[in-house]
Amino acid sequence: MPTCDLQILSLDQLKTGQKGKVIKIESASKEIKRRLLDMGITPGVVIEIKRIAPLGDPYDIKVRDYDLCVRKADLALIEVHPL
Amino acid sequence: MRIALIGNQNSGKTTLFNALTGSNQKIGNWPGVTIEQKVGYISKGNHELIDLPGIYSLSPYTIEEALSRAFLLQEKPDLIINIIDATSIERSLYLTTQLMELNIDMVIALNMADMFDKKGISIDIRALSEKLQTTVIKISALKRSGLNELIDIIDHQSYMKHQTQNIFKPNVEKIIGHLVNQIHQEHARFIAIKLLEKDPIIESEGLDIDKWIKPLEQSYKQDIETTIAAGRYDYIEALKAQTFVRLHHGDHTTELLDRVFLNRWLALPIFALIMFLIYYISVGVIGTLTVDFIDGQISAFAGFMFDWLQSIGASTWSASLVADGMIAGVGAVLNFVPQLILLFILISLLESTGYMTRIAFFLDRLFKKFGLSGKSLIPFILGSGCSIPGIMATRTIEGQDERRMSIMLTPFIPCSAKLPIIALFASFFFPNHAGLVSFSLYMLSIVIILLSAIIMKTFFFKGTPSAFISELPNYKLPDIRYTIRDVYDKIYEFIEKAGTIILMSSIIIWFLTSFSFRLAYGVDVDQSILAYIGRVFSYLFYPMLGELSWATSVSAIQGLVAKEQVVSSMAVIGGLSADITEGNLILNAPIYAFFTPASAYAFMAFNLFSAPCFGAIGAMRKELGSAKKMWQAILFQTGMAYVLGILIYQVFTIIGGLL
Repeated sequence: MPTCDLQILSLDQLKTGQKGKVIKIESASKEIKRRLLDMGITPGVVIEIKRIAPLGDPYDIKVRDYDLCVRKADLALIEVHPL
Repeated sequence: MRIALIGNQNSGKTTLFNALTGSNQKIGNWPGVTIEQKVGYISKGNHELIDLPGIYSLSPYTIEEALSRAFLLQEKPDLIINIIDATSIERSLYLTTQLMELNIDMVIALNMADMFDKKGISIDIRALSEKLQTTVIKISALKRSGLNELIDIIDHQSYMKHQTQNIFKPNVEKIIGHLVNQIHQEHARFIAIKLLEKDPIIESEGLDIDKWIKPLEQSYKQDIETTIAAGRYDYIEALKAQTFVRLHHGDHTTELLDRVFLNRWLALPIFALIMFLIYYISVGVIGTLTVDFIDGQISAFAGFMFDWLQSIGASTWSASLVADGMIAGVGAVLNFVPQLILLFILISLLESTGYMTRIAFFLDRLFKKFGLSGKSLIPFILGSGCSIPGIMATRTIEGQDERRMSIMLTPFIPCSAKLPIIALFASFFFPNHAGLVSFSLYMLSIVIILLSAIIMKTFFFKGTPSAFISELPNYKLPDIRYTIRDVYDKIYEFIEKAGTIILMSSIIIWFLTSFSFRLAYGVDVDQSILAYIGRVFSYLFYPMLGELSWATSVSAIQGLVAKEQVVSSMAVIGGLSADITEGNLILNAPIYAFFTPASAYAFMAFNLFSAPCFGAIGAMRKELGSAKKMWQAILFQTGMAYVLGILIYQVFTIIGGLL
């Protein structure tokens, strides 16, 4: 990785309303990773944390102009630059 | 022409399908592809339109995507209509880029044209069409605009023919080109890209794919699937920048409604209230109002027919066949049509307004604890109408364990056919608390589902990775046309079943109850053929009924044919066993006099949780993928029901004795 002063966080560490630019997607399984890619979470895309479900999980995120629900555990494996 | 209609979930696909085909629909089956989809006809039957499942990609990992893909590759449609939601255009076009790789002509229907002004959307259709080399037509499925133009273009085949588009970066395209040259099959580009993605379903046919993948993974520093997916989205972003402008983002109404329905404190109470109202109104209030009334009408009609048939000289046995067999059996089931109409309307509204996905969203955390997904809730709620569509709806659940558990647990939800059993018993044995008792059974079913989930998770399912990835669509006003059609289809099916399976079973039950083994008519029901058969089973049910009742036992077993048959059978036997004219309720017959509230509740519980009807068993077999797993499910369900029935009877009887 090139040295840069940009902070790297996992997506679940962002606060509600905060945005982040995706750097890298890891996942518990090939299936889940492919699903996330298919739904538009690709490197470079900007994601906003919109809302957290009343029971604390999953998260409602805004990506590519629509709302997507993803569990915290899966967001924890997505690296972002907070914006 | 054979046309496949394909698009994302919530893209308005079903609305478009209904608008194009009207009432000209049937369920289609294709040998080789295990997919059952609606088929409709357009342009006076010249073209066949197939409604494929709502999907986001042609990846190999979800069942619906794999099936749609198999359909496109094997059934060779002449044309694809790809419906696109203009308000989430990037994600919609992602599927389009994959469809473009197939060697099939395509027309893009750009939906939500009626929303363009409101959202400040402006699209350069001509430029979009030119860049994609595909005909694009602006439509509104809801307002039915642009549909004539769409049909015209299909009729005259005046759409652009398929052309290969190179959408990836040059070094990726170069490798795709190499592979295409070595694949001597139809859809070579599609297959080449799938091979690059290491697609587990497509065979590599001796090609050394790794040789090509390695340098790509090294140069992009990420795995190949990411490179391909990102390549598609990069292409779409560039395309969008040149053709698409949107001023207002988000949906104001949705934001407002979500502030209430997804509120941290209000979400769960509101949900509980909505569910309570749905079942309390349709099962409780309306139930007690309509069932007594219609039941009275039907028994009056049965009595009239009996007298009339005898007055024109029909023999007693034939008059009895019509009155006590056919009318009593079918009538016992038809009683429940008004309740079902209301229940189906309310479920359909939950689904079509977008609230159902939100329930899945905020209950996921809770369900995850029990080894299920929030998405399991959708099959469960649909299952309260009918288990079969409920079981089919499990296809959207990502995790295999969660999906299998949901399939096995959906039949535990009291479906509409079990509703007659609940309504009948609740109103007869608990006349002052019928609504509450009915509701308690729905609550009990949730407890049983969660309990079973824990048992299954502990003993049978060792855990595959699970996820909850779901679009949260905007709230929509219900489409009245769709709701009416949806409810009509389901009610029609229920009535059709009453006129066929239930009618036939009722005649058989009438015969077995009216005749002895020596084929003598008019014997006492206790001497009938059925009584002898039933006595064998009555020992099984003794621990939960506290009585050896052949009539009840034999009726419970008929629940396999259709759950409403339990009530029909009890009605036929009850009617033949005694001459009840006043307040003609099935359970007034002396043959059922042994029932106590405890045994009535236990019997209801057994019928709710034991093996579902043959239709639902078939659906379980299909979705679980093997007969062995199906038998395991049936054994589990019936075992659970049996133990529960006995427990309820014994515990309630002891408590009743103490009071």
